Amino acid sequence: MEATRQIYWNIGHGVVIPMYLLVFAAVGVMVYGFWRRLPVWCQGKRLDRFDRYDERVKRMLGEVFSQAKVTRVTDGGVFHAIFFWSFLALLVGTTLVMVQADVLTPLLQVNLLSGEVYKAFSLTLDLAGILALVMLTGLFIRRFVIQPKGLEIVNDDYIVLQLLFAILISGFLLEGARMAATELPLKTGLELFSPGGLLAGQLFTSLTAETLLVTHKILWWFHFALVLGFFCALPHTKLRHIFTTTANAFLAPFEPKGFIATINLEDDSAEQFGAATICDFSWKDIFDADACTSCKRCQERCPAYVTDKPLSPLKIVTQIGELAESNPRGKLGETLSQDALWSCTTCRACQDICPANIEHVNKIIEMRRSLTLMEGAFPGDEVRTAVSNIEVNGNPFGFAYASRGDWAEELQLSRMEHDADVDILYFVGCYASFDKRNKAIARNFIAICKAAGVKIGILGKEEKCCGEPVRKLGNEYLYQITAHENIQRIKDYNVKKIVTTCPHCFNTLARDYRDLGLDIPVEHYSTYISGLLDAGRLRLASKPFSFTYHDSCYLGRYMDIIEQPRNILRQAGGSLVEMDQNGYDSFCCGAGGGRIIAEERLGGKISAVRVKMALDTGAPLLVSSCPFCLTMFEDGIKTGGAEGLMQAMDLAEIVAERITA
Amino acid sequence: MKLLVCIKQVPDQESRFEPDAAGVWYSETDVAFRMNEYDEYAVEQAVQLRENLGEGAELTVLSIGPDRVVEVLKKALAMGCDNAAHILDNDASRKDPWQIASIISSYAEDKGFEIIFAGMQSQDRCSAQVGVTVAEHLGFACTTTIVGFEYANGMITVRRELEGGMKGVVRLPPPALVTCQLGLNVPRYPTLPNIIKAKKKEITVIPVADLLSEEALVATTGFYPPAKKCGGIVLEGDVAELVDKVFVILKEKTAVLR
Repeated sequence: MEATRQIYWNIGHGVVIPMYLLVFAAVGVMVYGFWRRLPVWCQGKRLDRFDRYDERVKRMLGEVFSQAKVTRVTDGGVFHAIFFWSFLALLVGTTLVMVQADVLTPLLQVNLLSGEVYKAFSLTLDLAGILALVMLTGLFIRRFVIQPKGLEIVNDDYIVLQLLFAILISGFLLEGARMAATELPLKTGLELFSPGGLLAGQLFTSLTAETLLVTHKILWWFHFALVLGFFCALPHTKLRHIFTTTANAFLAPFEPKGFIATINLEDDSAEQFGAATICDFSWKDIFDADACTSCKRCQERCPAYVTDKPLSPLKIVTQIGELAESNPRGKLGETLSQDALWSCTTCRACQDICPANIEHVNKIIEMRRSLTLMEGAFPGDEVRTAVSNIEVNGNPFGFAYASRGDWAEELQLSRMEHDADVDILYFVGCYASFDKRNKAIARNFIAICKAAGVKIGILGKEEKCCGEPVRKLGNEYLYQITAHENIQRIKDYNVKKIVTTCPHCFNTLARDYRDLGLDIPVEHYSTYISGLLDAGRLRLASKPFSFTYHDSCYLGRYMDIIEQPRNILRQAGGSLVEMDQNGYDSFCCGAGGGRIIAEERLGGKISAVRVKMALDTGAPLLVSSCPFCLTMFEDGIKTGGAEGLMQAMDLAEIVAERITA
Repeated sequence: MKLLVCIKQVPDQESRFEPDAAGVWYSETDVAFRMNEYDEYAVEQAVQLRENLGEGAELTVLSIGPDRVVEVLKKALAMGCDNAAHILDNDASRKDPWQIASIISSYAEDKGFEIIFAGMQSQDRCSAQVGVTVAEHLGFACTTTIVGFEYANGMITVRRELEGGMKGVVRLPPPALVTCQLGLNVPRYPTLPNIIKAKKKEITVIPVADLLSEEALVATTGFYPPAKKCGGIVLEGDVAELVDKVFVILKEKTAVLR
């Protein structure tokens, strides 16, 4: 006889109609559960996340089936992925059984599940079930025994884990009972293709035939009831993420990373700018809360959270979800403290690691926009002063705007107002223009370009702050004023290419200014120097040195520029010792999100924490390619007690030292 | 109740000041302008009073100068003033405090203002005369350098800053003029809806000739930076290098090593 099994054995085909009715009812309960969430999500503002449908579907299927985002963190992630694939196999297998029993057999009289196919099918499913059980046990131990820091245990976790254990175990018991009555006594060898059932079947071998039949029937209904329970529980427990996190992979934005919607300041009918209540968010911001599984990956990477500041990106997301349900028209400020919102460095570590595609950063910026534009609030008086300085003199320090180009006095650089026929416009930025330590970046970059025969122009006193810090602090008005002035100047001079040494200027000019009408190519000096080296226009003498490299958030995570600066430094003779947190996992210096102009009053110093990470590599040199980072590290080295042990340098300084004629 | 606040647009103090062609005032080349700091306190206090008085109160902001002063008027409107008067005068910097005060008082005399706010002095001219002279012209009660302000039951009570950190309390009935000092308040940052609303508020432009009949009593005859008497040098670098540098300086410029 060919290997197969009788579907609905001991249950009878009479069960088909009530079974399907119950399944439909359970699915109905599930759909209704999500349906009831719809009004909660719809409290948010309109936002189109259904365009480019094909690409969205493709991305969603890719992310879900590959489990790529979950497995970026091995702890928990690998278990989740293997559990997912096993459970998926069980789902597909069960569906196949249903198709076989209720479509293929009655309508076409074909039995796919027979012979070698059945053996393979049976073995695959049994192994998947065992694997799922093992993974579930692992996850159980992780959550309840190991209890990683920050992983909170909530009621959902008990319900979900119990339900999944019960479904898997009852499935094996059910199989075991059936095999004890059918396959085990015959010993045809078929039982070996159901190792899980074979094992479970041993429990039932001593039962009388009659008891066995009754036991099997009870187990079947019990297992079935649990599956129905699974459907019903789905929208009301963390299991909802099967739907919502998957949906979020579809709904994720297509805009370049770091894109912030440009506010229409001409709209005099607008009564609210930024988010003051839940209803000021987009629907997607509210939906994000439902996609969150509280995996705490965002929180443990957050530089503010790690240094004991009152911000947790996880809490921001869950609190928005809670408020959307309980008090959608209430002031957000009553729940989400200003201190928390101002603590964000917009480093994007949270968003980058989030397996659920949640958009943390823009939520915080939207709330900051309301604080700044609607309430005139500041994180501190020093920020009020810096903002006023930018308004008057175009730089946060308050230096005379006319002295912006003074650093280049002896360098015979062409000012665009006198000679605009240049290869590149160097957009210097405030720090390299005015800050004593950072002027070295500007001077060295000029030396590099001169050595490569590049003709550089600067705007000098016609350049203003790019507006990045104030934009990230929520002051869209001041940002747009300074941006428009810069754009007008740049356009006047018919510029071919812009190069910046500051990743913040780079992001702003290359991405944010597009929205305001600037469409000239913009490059960061790391890739520009890389290009000069590749083209043979610049040659470096390799002088050996040991270093560790810090990825600026706005260069690595935001702009995917990770390898180029490292390659340049290797060509310069450097041997790199990586910090644990590097590349996309880099840990912010603390200066992003406008924090560069704010005092760090709460918690520990982020820069000192990063300097400590650099010290741990044993390398004596910390290289970065961002004036903000350099500023923070010079400070972090002093306050972190690393003077004499660690030196902070910029990429341009290393390269300029090694130029060969 | 009608209120007036007088403000001036002044150069940012970080600007590089060069004498103008006539050598009697600074050149405006490469100078950034902003609202006089003390006037910001005046505007804030006036707006707070305006808000407390509610319906029926009206706050006018006034400034004298060329077209560029519209920027500070707009800021004051965005902070909460109801309307603005721009006394258009391209030659305001050549006028002495007596003339400036006369312009303001001839603007204000028939308007029925009950309380006038002004900065204690401007950051460029620093005469501290305009506010008090306006009060004298109009026959208003006047007090200066206030660091606290309260208006209740038809009476103004202010705290004044005295020498050595001492404070004095002064009461005066309207009509009155007060000049404002640092410490009075923290000027608000205009909100975006208010900036947008301010664009629609009225700015009345009045040519200065319509208001000025007085001759100058004081003439500025010179403007120059202090003579450079000595300078400091900040040395930077490794300690070993610093020692060498200090040694060279001591040897070349002083007698201690000879």
